[in-house]
Amino acid sequence: MPPRARLRLLVGGVLAGVAATLVALHLAAPSAAAAQQRDTTRGDTSRVERPFVRGGVYDKPFENRLGSRTAFGGYAEAHARHERADGATEESGFVAKRFNLFASARVSDVVRFASELEFEEGGEEIKLEFAAIDLRIHPALALRGGMILSPLGRFNLSHDSPLNEFTDRPLVSTELIGVALSEPGFGALGQLRAGKGGRLTYELYATNGFHDGLITASEDGTRIPLGRGNHEDNNASPAFVGRLAWSPRQAFELGLSAHRGAYNVFKIEGVDVDERRNATITVVDFDASAAGIRLQGEAAMASVQVPAGLVGIYASRQRGAYVEATREFGRGLVRTLSNSIFAAKVRWDGVDFDSSLPGDSHAQWTLGVNFRPTRESVVKFDVVRGRTRDAFNNASERAAFLVSLATYF
Amino acid sequence: MLTLLTSFKVARGVVFLAVLALVAISCSDFLTSAPDDGDVFDAPLEGLTAAEQAAFVRGDAEFGRRFSPATGLGPVFNNVSCISCHSGDGRGRLENSLHRIGSVADGFLGAIGGPQIQDKATPGAHAEPIPTGVAVSVRLPPPVFGAGLIEAIPDAALIALADENDANGDGISGRPNWTTSHEYVPATEPGGGAGPRIGRFGRKAQTPTILQQTVEAYHQDMGITSEFHPQENRNPMSPVPAENFDLAADPEVPSATVLAVVHYLRTLAPPAAGAESAARAEGKSLFTSVGCAQCHVPTLNTGLHAIAALANKPVTLYSDLLLHDMGDALADNRPDGGASGREWRTTPLWGLRLMRQFLNGQAFLMHDGRARTVEQAILLHGGEALRARTAFAGLSVGQRASLLDFVESR
Repeated sequence: MPPRARLRLLVGGVLAGVAATLVALHLAAPSAAAAQQRDTTRGDTSRVERPFVRGGVYDKPFENRLGSRTAFGGYAEAHARHERADGATEESGFVAKRFNLFASARVSDVVRFASELEFEEGGEEIKLEFAAIDLRIHPALALRGGMILSPLGRFNLSHDSPLNEFTDRPLVSTELIGVALSEPGFGALGQLRAGKGGRLTYELYATNGFHDGLITASEDGTRIPLGRGNHEDNNASPAFVGRLAWSPRQAFELGLSAHRGAYNVFKIEGVDVDERRNATITVVDFDASAAGIRLQGEAAMASVQVPAGLVGIYASRQRGAYVEATREFGRGLVRTLSNSIFAAKVRWDGVDFDSSLPGDSHAQWTLGVNFRPTRESVVKFDVVRGRTRDAFNNASERAAFLVSLATYF
Repeated sequence: MLTLLTSFKVARGVVFLAVLALVAISCSDFLTSAPDDGDVFDAPLEGLTAAEQAAFVRGDAEFGRRFSPATGLGPVFNNVSCISCHSGDGRGRLENSLHRIGSVADGFLGAIGGPQIQDKATPGAHAEPIPTGVAVSVRLPPPVFGAGLIEAIPDAALIALADENDANGDGISGRPNWTTSHEYVPATEPGGGAGPRIGRFGRKAQTPTILQQTVEAYHQDMGITSEFHPQENRNPMSPVPAENFDLAADPEVPSATVLAVVHYLRTLAPPAAGAESAARAEGKSLFTSVGCAQCHVPTLNTGLHAIAALANKPVTLYSDLLLHDMGDALADNRPDGGASGREWRTTPLWGLRLMRQFLNGQAFLMHDGRARTVEQAILLHGGEALRARTAFAGLSVGQRASLLDFVESR
C-alpha cells in the first residue's frame, strides 16, 4: 500500500475511531438531564452535587436519553394483597398499582424541564403528577412553574415505589397529606451553604391550593386529599406551600414544611358569598442513616376551618405520623446476582382523623423483608397489623400480607 | 433457575425460617378473628337463606354509608349516616341526641323546624336552632337490632298484654300506641296499610313499620330524599332557599337503597344474653318479684312472617312494647301519636350486656341518656313503675346487686 494511501487509511481510521468513540460515548453516556440525575443515593457527594431531594424529581437515576436532549424513563409497581379485618377477608387479589412515565430535558444551561405522568390502579386514574419548568439562575435561586409536587413533607417529594421500602405509602401520607400532592403553582427553590459540607434547601410556591371537596365530596369526615385537583383555581386566592430542609451531611436531613390557603369559594365577582376558610398543614420530616440503619419519618398536623353547620361532624384538627427503619444485609448473598441485597424493615404509622375525639383513627405496624436484585428493582414482603377506630372509638382489627414488585425502567 | 436456587445456600436457612414464621403467624390469630355473633349488635339472624344474607350484606353497606353534601347530605341534617348515630348498631351517645319539639296539636311546630330539629347544615345552609319556650324532647338514638323480631310479634300478643284501665288493679295500665302508617308504606309491608296500626318503633312507639322508621331517618336525620319521600327537608326559617345549597338532585337515593336498609334492620339479630349464674338466677327471680317483669315482659313470640328466620320464634326482649305513664320526672310533655307527654314505650333490655363496649366504656340510659347506670335508671322510674321502683329500693344491697347483675347480663 502506498504511503499516501496508508496515511489516508490511518487518518481515516483515526477519524472514524474518534467519530465512533464520540458516537459511542454519546450513546453510552447519560444525557444532560440524566447526568444531573444519576444515582446519588449512595456514596458521598459534595454539597452542590447532592440531589436537591434525595430520590426526588431530579434524582431519577435510571432515566435514559432517547436520541435527543430529552430523557425518558419511569417505574412500574404491582401488588399482591391479602387483607383481613375482624376475621373477614376484605381483599385478596392483585393490583396493577402504578405505571409512571418520566420525561425530562435540560433545555439549556439554565432551563430544564421534568415531568411525570401516572397511571394508577390499572389506568383507572390517570394524572399529570409533575410537569414543571425550572429556570436556574443560581444554586441559591431557581424559578419553577407548572404542575409542581408540593414540598409538603419529604415523602411527597420522594415517593417512587422502587425507592419506597414498603408496599404501601404511610397512612399520614395517603390519608392526611394526600401524596402525591401536586398543584399548579409558581415559585422558587434553591440551596444555601450551612457550614462545612452542610446546606439548607428551600422551596416556596404559590399554588391553587385545595378546593372544598375536602368537605363537600368527603363521606368520611374531613379528608384533605379530596380537596386536591384544584386545577382551575376555585377562589382566586393562592395558597402557599414551602419547605426548609437542613442537611449537615450527606445522610441526614431535617425538614419543616407547611401549606396554607383558603379552600372554599368566599367571593364571587367581588361579592362576599361566604366566610373565608383556610386549610393549614404543617409537616416535620427527617431522613437519617446511622450504624447501617436508615431512619425516616414524618409528623403532620392539619387544621381545617369547618363551616359552622358542620362543626362536630367534620373534623377541624387532624394529625398523623410515621417512622420507619431499614437495615440492608446480605449483599451478594445470591451468588448469581452479585449486586443483590436484602433489607429488613419496620414501620409504625398512624393517623388521627379527628383530634377532638378518642376514636376516628387508624394505626398500624408493618414488618417485612425486601430483596433487590439490583438497586433499581425490588420485591417487597410486608406483614401489616393494625387497628382502626370509628368515631365511637369502637376498634376494628386489621391485618394484611402484601407482596409487591417495583422497578425503574 | 437451578443455579439461582442453589445460590441461595447461605440464605435458604434464613428464608426457610422466615417462611416458617410467616406460616406460624398466619395460622394464629394474627390475621384477626371475628367476634362471636352473640357478642355484637350487627350479626344476622340465624337461619337466613343465602339470598336473605346477600340482601343483609347490601343493607349493611347502606347502613354504614356516609353521605357528603355532594351525595345528598342536607341541606339540614343531624348526622351523616345511620351508623354515625347507632354505635355498632347499638344505642348512641349524648352528642348524637335528637331534639323533637312541639306536639300533635300544634302541628309539631313545623314553622320553626319541627317535628325534629336539624342542628347541622351543609355549607351555606342554615342549621335550625333549638328553640326555647316550647316542649323539647331529647331522644337518644336507640339500638336497632331485633327490629324484625319486634315487627313479627302479632298485634294480638300486644293487645293481650294491654290493660289500659288497670282492670287488674296492679297499678300498671299499658296500652298500645295506635297510630297510622304513612301513605307511602304499602299494605304488604308489616304494619302498613290504611287504618290504625300498633306503633312499635321509637321511644313512644310512634312508628308502626320499619320502612317508615327508615324513610324518616333518611329524611329527617340525614337530609336524604328518597323515592318514598322525595321532597327535601328544609329549614323553614332559612332566609335563602335550600335549593341553593343542595348539591344533589332529588330523590337522592332510590327505593332499593331504603329497602336494603329495611331488610338489614329486619334481619339483625339481638345479641346473646350473658352466662347464667346463681346470683343472676336470684336476680332474675327478684326482677319478677319486685314487678319489673310486669312491663319488661321477658319473652314474647313472633307469628307468621315471610322470612322463615323470623317466624314463630321466641323474642327475649324484656318489653311489652306498650305505653306506660312514667311519671313527672321522665315526662317530656310532648305527645306523639297516641302517646301522651308522660308515656313512654317500655324499652327492651336486650343488649345491655354490651352497651358499654360500644360506647367507649360509658352507659347512657333512658330516652335522653340521663342515667349512667342501670341502678340510676331504675331509680328514675315513676308513674306506673313507682311501685316496682320502691320495691327495688327496699331490697338488700346484695339483692340489688344480683338484680342489677341480671339486668346488665341481658
